[in-house]
Amino acid sequence: MSLDYISSIMQPLLQGAETTIITFLIVILLSLPLGFLITLMAKSRVKPLAWIAHTYIYVMRGTPLMLQLLFFCFGLPLLPVIGQYLVIDRFVAACIGFVLNYAAYFAEIFRGGLLSIDKGQYEASQVLGLSRWQTMSKVIIPQMIRVALPAVANESITLVKDTALLYAVAVPELLHYAQTAVNRDFTIAPFVVAGVIYLLMTLVLTLFFKALEKRFKFE
Amino acid sequence: MTSMIEIHNLKKSFGNLDVLRKVNFSVAPGEVVAVIGPSGSGKSTMLRSLIHLEEVTGGSIRIQGEALVEDGKYATPAKIKSITSRMGMVFQHFNLFPHLTVQDNLELAPKTVKKENAAEIRRRSEELLAKVGLADKANAYPANLSGGQKQRVAIARALMMKPEILLFDEPTSALDPELTGEVLRVIKQLAEENMTMIIVTHEMNFARDVADRVIFMDNGEIAEEGTPEQIFGNPQLERTKSFLSRVEIMG
Ligand SMILES: Nc1ncnc2c1ncn2[C@@H]1O[C@H](COP(=O)(O)OP(=O)(O)OP(=O)(O)O)[C@@H](O)[C@H]1O
Ligand SMILES: [Mg+2]
Repeated sequence: MSLDYISSIMQPLLQGAETTIITFLIVILLSLPLGFLITLMAKSRVKPLAWIAHTYIYVMRGTPLMLQLLFFCFGLPLLPVIGQYLVIDRFVAACIGFVLNYAAYFAEIFRGGLLSIDKGQYEASQVLGLSRWQTMSKVIIPQMIRVALPAVANESITLVKDTALLYAVAVPELLHYAQTAVNRDFTIAPFVVAGVIYLLMTLVLTLFFKALEKRFKFE
Repeated sequence: MTSMIEIHNLKKSFGNLDVLRKVNFSVAPGEVVAVIGPSGSGKSTMLRSLIHLEEVTGGSIRIQGEALVEDGKYATPAKIKSITSRMGMVFQHFNLFPHLTVQDNLELAPKTVKKENAAEIRRRSEELLAKVGLADKANAYPANLSGGQKQRVAIARALMMKPEILLFDEPTSALDPELTGEVLRVIKQLAEENMTMIIVTHEMNFARDVADRVIFMDNGEIAEEGTPEQIFGNPQLERTKSFLSRVEIMG
């Protein structure tokens, strides 16, 4: 495991890590707001909306993420009639799969966060004259974020590792380049280096969320 | 002179449980009314109906002559909002916003609802915090306050909206006994400044001391009302007497 060898595989591994990070960012940035939207739907007084949201959460959490990714990358084009229009870039298709899956988990987390907020908060807001929207944005959501933060941090770290599932739909990312190097050079070093890169990414995330949790402590 | 509050034949049921049955009373400007009565008699429900935290099933509520609900029919949402904005409410469990400092708790509603000038809001929040004796806690979070301090912040927060009527639902029931005094003193001071108030309370001594009128509620109706001297000194009904002797033994 010479330094020379490691620096020679660094370039492709970092290129793979870039795909991993970009996927992570796209999925986080889209699935958090989508998840919140689904939470609001699930809480809606319009029954069909709530029903759709609950079913959605149930399906996305009740089936393997891998199945969903394969479905979006390779399954959609096989649909009768509309399938021919659904041949999209595999990376995009995989991102859609990740976003839809993670949104369901985030929706559940946010729903739990909302449930933990005392109804006195809504009543105090109402008697002070805040509108529904002002109550949500100024009173409820900030408190929900505090409650949801640890679970969101957990999911985010899981997501970093789940991006390795891109391997299964043949989008080259960190694990793919490591595996390629291992096969070519008959050495375990690329796996170790890839592992270290994943650890660095999760470390940065962990520190980021620790800092956020501190900011949302309200003491 | 028009009454501040006038309620007529107020009815409220939860399912087939009649919680309020034909409640009638009125409150004059500057009057302090204490509401007493056994648990489950409908005191909170009556108070919460006034500020539209509960929807009644029948009867009328008029605030300064304007109908919030007339014969069971509610005004338009805009009208409801304008009528209820003249009232403030203080809850048993304070309901402070835990994610905001004391100062931000006071300033949130004026800033978002009234859109007043920030300097004026700041001046008033400082003045009110001083008034409730918490000027040094402006930057503290509710989690770091005692119960008595929290309730004083809640009173200051309600006052920020310049209400003409203040409603209190057992403002000291969640407090340790040694902390009730500081809250009651603030309420008493408001009474001396002629704030119109309805106070649901289990503190009989306080009711005697601060109220102009005492209402005894029992089983969803006003069983007896009168001056503190009448109600505490010479109650007419057997159930009033028995309630008073029960709380006196307890307290
Ligand atoms: N949301 C609700 N749904 C069903 N029943 C309710 C609801 N709120 C109150 N009640 C019932 O209405 C009755 C009156 O309740 P209320 O809270 O007004 O009494 P209270 O006089 O304030 O009592 P306490 O002294 O215990 O606070 C009680 O029997 C209570 O169980
Ligand atoms: Mg009550």
